[in-house]
This record gives sequence, structure tokens and C-alpha cells, in this order.
Amino acid sequence: MEGYINGIGIISPQKTFDTPDFLSEVVEHNSKALYSIEPSYKEFLNPNLARRMARIIKMSIAASTICFRDAKVEMPDAIMTGTALGCLEDTEKFLWAIIHDDEQFLTPTSFIQSTHNTVSAQIALQLKCMNYNFTYVHKGFSFESAVLDALMTLAEGEAKNILIGGHDEMTDKYYRVCDRIGYFKQETVPTMELINRKTNGSIGGEGAAFFVLSKDKSETSYAKLRGIKTIYKPENNQEIENKINELLASNGLTAKDIDVVVYGNNGDARFDKTYTHLQDNLLKDSTSTYFKHLCGEYQTAGSFGMWVAAKIIKTQTIPSAILIGDNKSKSIKNVLIYNTFLDVDHSVYLLSQC
Amino acid sequence: MDALIDQLKGEIIEQLNLEDLKKEDINSDAPLFGEGLGLDSIDALELIVLLEKNHGIKVANPADGKKIFQSVRTMAEYIQANKK
Repeated sequence: MEGYINGIGIISPQKTFDTPDFLSEVVEHNSKALYSIEPSYKEFLNPNLARRMARIIKMSIAASTICFRDAKVEMPDAIMTGTALGCLEDTEKFLWAIIHDDEQFLTPTSFIQSTHNTVSAQIALQLKCMNYNFTYVHKGFSFESAVLDALMTLAEGEAKNILIGGHDEMTDKYYRVCDRIGYFKQETVPTMELINRKTNGSIGGEGAAFFVLSKDKSETSYAKLRGIKTIYKPENNQEIENKINELLASNGLTAKDIDVVVYGNNGDARFDKTYTHLQDNLLKDSTSTYFKHLCGEYQTAGSFGMWVAAKIIKTQTIPSAILIGDNKSKSIKNVLIYNTFLDVDHSVYLLSQC
Repeated sequence: MDALIDQLKGEIIEQLNLEDLKKEDINSDAPLFGEGLGLDSIDALELIVLLEKNHGIKVANPADGKKIFQSVRTMAEYIQANKK
């Protein structure tokens, strides 16, 4: 199973949507939760439609539009997205109205926009796309499930160009709830210091990242996505290493062939041990990089990691802002992404130069 | 009546997220749907809720909607005529 990443559109807490630059400048948020840098939506949406849309819907439509332009694709054969929380802002509005108004005066807009598949549906409506449309809602495996579906659909020959995306938004209420259950750090952490903080919790994040995954290579190709594996609650590091080796072996590779690893280190002392183990053992010969200090922690952050990996391959550069230790790579052919959400949902992706 | 029309314009802008509009941009006699503000059927539902929530007036007969929601002025007239 493989597919070519032929286009990317990403809106994140970094400057990622209107520049070819690859993280040469990092936006320092100095905050406990990172919010996306958003474009002017007038370029992407009719204001009459945009007025009803919550931030995550607008971010996703803009990101998918940028992605289609990048890939030079007008109509996908399928749309597959992953989101853990869906359109949270409108869900909160709707639930708040139910409680506040004693189940009276419920307005239709926030209800219509609050479902998890609103983003996929709105993208399809904008395009008038009647093709396969699916939204995966599997917490830390949401985006990964969309990727897996896309790879299988390409392998079956049922599509040539598929839009895949991961999107989740941070809201003030969600931040407060997660803060109370210990997801986030109690102190504000400067972006570049996150990885060195040995305290519990991470920083909150959000983003909308879309990719055109295609059967064929094109002039716009970034990288070839060669496979993905998910591991639910691995019992020990050996199980993780076995899964990575399985993925590599099925592509005729070993750990020594991996030039760069993109890790999901999030500065949480409880969970970063998995990444440290891989950095010191199975993948010790590869260059180590990380990304969650730039986008924050959220369930579909793997999509930001895939953007980082694809850009590393296409540009053959590793920005200093994401480097852990020394850059050991001269040319970059194979990149692995290893990510976990709360040490429960683990995933590994393999990308190669095409 | 003018005060009610002014208040209603503010409520419509807020309820329908008409972010780019100010009260003075809305002509009190212009059609709300189709031309004029260009509202649609979802907005109609929002306006029904607005009447009930903010003014305590329930539109009992949906067929009356067309007349009530013709313009901001007709909405204000309906509120004034039906306010308890």
C-alpha cells in the first residue's frame, strides 16, 4: 500500500499556509495553549456562508482549498478526514444553549454545524463533490484511520486522488476541562524549551492539515507514503519496536535505512519516555526531530507531523527548530514518524523520497 | 417604533452573525430574504427563535412568516401588535 503526497494545505499555530518557507522562523506563542494563525477567509469563502461557520470549519475549508491548488487537483475521488472532537465550538454553543435556556429556543445553526462530519461535508458542498466521504472519529487514531482508509482505497484501485485531512480545534472551555484532568502543564513554557521540561502535562494545540494522496507521482509530489501502523496501548517498548520493524520489513527496509525520525515529543514527563527509548535504541542512528512544540498537543497532531516529514523530504532540509541532537543525515530518503497521544494511541508512518 | 426597529437590527446582526454589517447598513423596509439582506431558510428559523427568545412572541402559524419577516419594519410591527 502506498500513495504519493501530491499537495498539502495546512493551517496551524505556525506560519504554514501562505509561504514556501519551512520553519526557518518559528512563531513563539509563550502560552499554555497554541491557537492557529488564520488567513483572511474572504479569499476562500463566500462571506454569506462563512458567517455561519465556526473557526475549525473555516480553517479546514481554507486548508483543503490550498491543498487542491498545491496538488493541481480540482475534484478528489474521495474525501477522508479524521477528527477527535469535531466542531467543538458549535457543540459547546449548542449544549450551553440547551442548559442555559432550559431546552427552549434552540437555534439550528450551531446544531447543524456541531456534528463531527461537518468539515468533510462542507468541503464536499463547496466542491459539489458527490464521491465517497468519510469522517473518522477515533481519538488519537482519527487522522491515522483516514490515512489507512486512503491507502487501502488507492491499493484497491478505487480512487486516484484522495483528500485526507486531520482537524481539531482548541476552545477555552475544552482547555479548562483538559487542564483539570492534567493534560496540560501548570506553567507557561517557551516554545523551544518544551522538550526539556521534565514536568507532567503538555501544551494545548490545534490545526487543520490536508493532503492530496494520489496513486501516481506528479510534478507536485512531496513524498511517497509507504505505510502506517497503529498500536493501541502497547505493553512495552519491545512491542513498539516489533511493530516498527514489521512496517519497515514489509517495505524492504530496516531501522538502519531510516534517515530521519519525526517524533511526537510533547514535553510531558510521563509519555516522552517512549520517544527517548526509540532515540536511544532502535532508531539511534537516525536524525531525531520533533514537532509538538510548534503545534501543541491534540489528537490529530499526527497530521502536522506528516506535513513536517513531507517537507523534510521535499526540501531535503531539517530546520534547526525541530532538531533533537545532531543532524546525521546527508541525503534524506526515508523518514519515519512516531507519535502517541497520551501513551494510549501510538502510530508510526513511513514516508520515502519519490 | 424607531427604537424597536433599531434594537431589532442589532439583534438580527448578532443572531445571524452578519459581522460585516452595521445597523445603518440595513434598510428598515428592504426585503430580508432573496434581495436585500439575502437571508435564507436557516435564517428564517433563527429569526423565529429570536422573536420567541427576545420578545416572548411565538409565531403560531408558519404561513404568517412570509408577511412577518418581509422586512425589519414588518417584524417590528408584528412585535408591537402582539406584545403582551
